[in-house]
Amino acid sequence: MDERRRKFEAEALPHLDAAYNLARWLARSPTDAEDIVQDAMLRAFRAFDGFRGGEVKPWLLAIVRNCWRNAVSDRLRRGHTPLPDEMSSPLVTDDPDPEAVALLASDGRKLDAAIAALPLEFREVLILREMEEMSYREIAEIVGAPIGTVMSRLSRARGLLRDKWLVEEPA
Amino acid sequence: MSCAHRETTEAWLAGLLEADAATAAENHVATCIDCQGADAAGPLPGKATRYRAPDELRRRLQRALEAQAPRRRPRGFWLGAASGAFGTALAAALAFLLILPPSMATLSDAVADAHTRALTSGETITVASSDHHTVKPWFASHIALSPPVGDFAQQGFALAGGRIDRIAGEDAAVVVYHHGKHVIDLFVWRASTTRLPDPGMRRGYRMVFWKENDLAFAAVTDMENTEFAKFVALVRSERE
Repeated sequence: MDERRRKFEAEALPHLDAAYNLARWLARSPTDAEDIVQDAMLRAFRAFDGFRGGEVKPWLLAIVRNCWRNAVSDRLRRGHTPLPDEMSSPLVTDDPDPEAVALLASDGRKLDAAIAALPLEFREVLILREMEEMSYREIAEIVGAPIGTVMSRLSRARGLLRDKWLVEEPA
Repeated sequence: MSCAHRETTEAWLAGLLEADAATAAENHVATCIDCQGADAAGPLPGKATRYRAPDELRRRLQRALEAQAPRRRPRGFWLGAASGAFGTALAAALAFLLILPPSMATLSDAVADAHTRALTSGETITVASSDHHTVKPWFASHIALSPPVGDFAQQGFALAGGRIDRIAGEDAAVVVYHHGKHVIDLFVWRASTTRLPDPGMRRGYRMVFWKENDLAFAAVTDMENTEFAKFVALVRSERE
């Protein structure tokens, strides 16, 4: 195995789960997530020489996010059914669809459904912060927004989740 | 020393503040370095699913990585060879080779590398403007050559901006155009060779090279051939 691939496998592949998790939460579809991650990892591999220093994980996650955006616009351009992306869709849906209701069976499922229903800009910062444990600065670089904006979105995401949780948890 | 608003900031980050209180906290954080380091727990982490990459994806990826052709590393090869019995002779030859212009294949690779690197990093544009009166002066102040910067929006090729990149050891001006969702990079650099690669595909990207006087041009894109040919013709006619 050549040196470049060995290095890539040692430094980037350990973040495959993180890459998949982000893609899965962005695309909200397992098959789309797999395609996006494969595309992202190969791009990362080809660009690996140009990558100098810094943390591999945020760099990789930024590529995943770009690939997902490309996949969305590709589909829109070709007139295919778009990925279930809601770049322009409303905030939290008031009426969960029947499938989402069925998901509410368990707490974890219920929480998953609530996160999945968050608007993209809130969902991505929440996933990056709470699941991938990225710093505000890293998130700011990944999503291309100032740190203050990242923090605002995080606050909004948590507030929305809290509201949803309270509404649906008749304690 | 901690900011007096730290607790409020943390409540805000946790999603506990609403309306005016939230806006006030947001405004404060925008300018407070201390509070920008604040953290708060989400309402309900832990129970949400963190998805794991399926094993099948892992295997598919391994196969795909294996299929990636090993990269050309001419310098590594020559240095390796130079350590052999003909070291001295080869070192002399090497010195000679290094001052030769890059080979055709290297040039195609260099352009493909620069193009994909820009796309994957999302940094395709340093000066963003659809106005050639903005883009052209920007190049004038950043690189010692003047690339053609046309306005082909009418024909469907919108000027998006420009950046500086490196091709074959030379600074290159890159004029970026958009055609629908497609990106076209037009590389322009001082030609050090009389020959340029033939038009072709590299890693799924279409590229065309040409020369005008002492400048070398390379147009790269992922769009289909007919439209691309139209673009190249436009750029070349603009120059004449």
